[in-house]
Amino acid sequence: MPFDSIEDLPDDALLARFADGNADAARVLTLRLTPRAMAHAFRLLGNRAEAEDVTQEAMLRLWKQARDWRSGEAKVTTWLYRVVANLCIDRRRRDRGGAVTLDAIPEPEDGRTSVTEAMQERARADALQAALNTLPARQRQAVVLRHIDGLSNPEIAEIMELTVEAVESLTSRGKRALKAGLAGRKEELGYVDER
Amino acid sequence: MSMNADNHDRDALGPFFDAARGTAPAPSEDMLARVLADAERIRTTPRQPRSSRPLTARLRDLLGGWPAIAGLTTAALTGLWIGAVLPNTVPGAETPEYLVDITPEMAFDLIGRDE
Repeated sequence: MPFDSIEDLPDDALLARFADGNADAARVLTLRLTPRAMAHAFRLLGNRAEAEDVTQEAMLRLWKQARDWRSGEAKVTTWLYRVVANLCIDRRRRDRGGAVTLDAIPEPEDGRTSVTEAMQERARADALQAALNTLPARQRQAVVLRHIDGLSNPEIAEIMELTVEAVESLTSRGKRALKAGLAGRKEELGYVDER
Repeated sequence: MSMNADNHDRDALGPFFDAARGTAPAPSEDMLARVLADAERIRTTPRQPRSSRPLTARLRDLLGGWPAIAGLTTAALTGLWIGAVLPNTVPGAETPEYLVDITPEMAFDLIGRDE
């Protein structure tokens, strides 16, 4: 098979090839799925090292699951998002109270009004992450899946094993809490509420 | 919450969500190498043979092999034969019962009765 054609295969076909012993399939799946799992874990945990641990564990479970994978029953990404979220929730239950709060984010130093766009982007992302960390786990998961990972409500409902209405309720409440948490930092982060 | 308020929240948070997407942490080279090493270890692990064995073979082993199955079959057939062929009453059961007085010295005559 030509090298570039395997990269066009869907996730479940690649997983089937991996189960049959194809090493290239593992490489393509690793490069395709690890960044998504890692970003999702980071948004749920707010800690890079922990996100890496969780991602490696989730990917290990995927490899182990490959031989028993039933193609067509569920999307690989749906399964992976669910495993990552469950691992994150387990980890947070173990060390409850270790989450970063809004106060832990350093305030900008005086006299640095001419910050670059990149720095402002980073500051906004950090502020959002700190606000996300204050949300209940399920609200955080729903908001991240919907507004950062860009999944549809039915997909999120399948991942979280909820109804679409319950997902909508979670994301709505989560956004309201985020907005309240970020309200005091809008100006310093270069955002002006136009309402 | 009304639809308008929900949309406003989304608009208000839009720049933050965009920033989060733009600054997502990428996995390091070391981490990708670890994930691939796990995959390689699983890929080269031989398949477990348990699921390939037929159900009858697993059942036979569970019961203890052919000798145990032969014993169970014999016992079952014997039980069936006893139930189908032998009379349905115990021999002697239809005859009058024996009355055994185990303590004759305790017997007493009816008061005022002459022999």
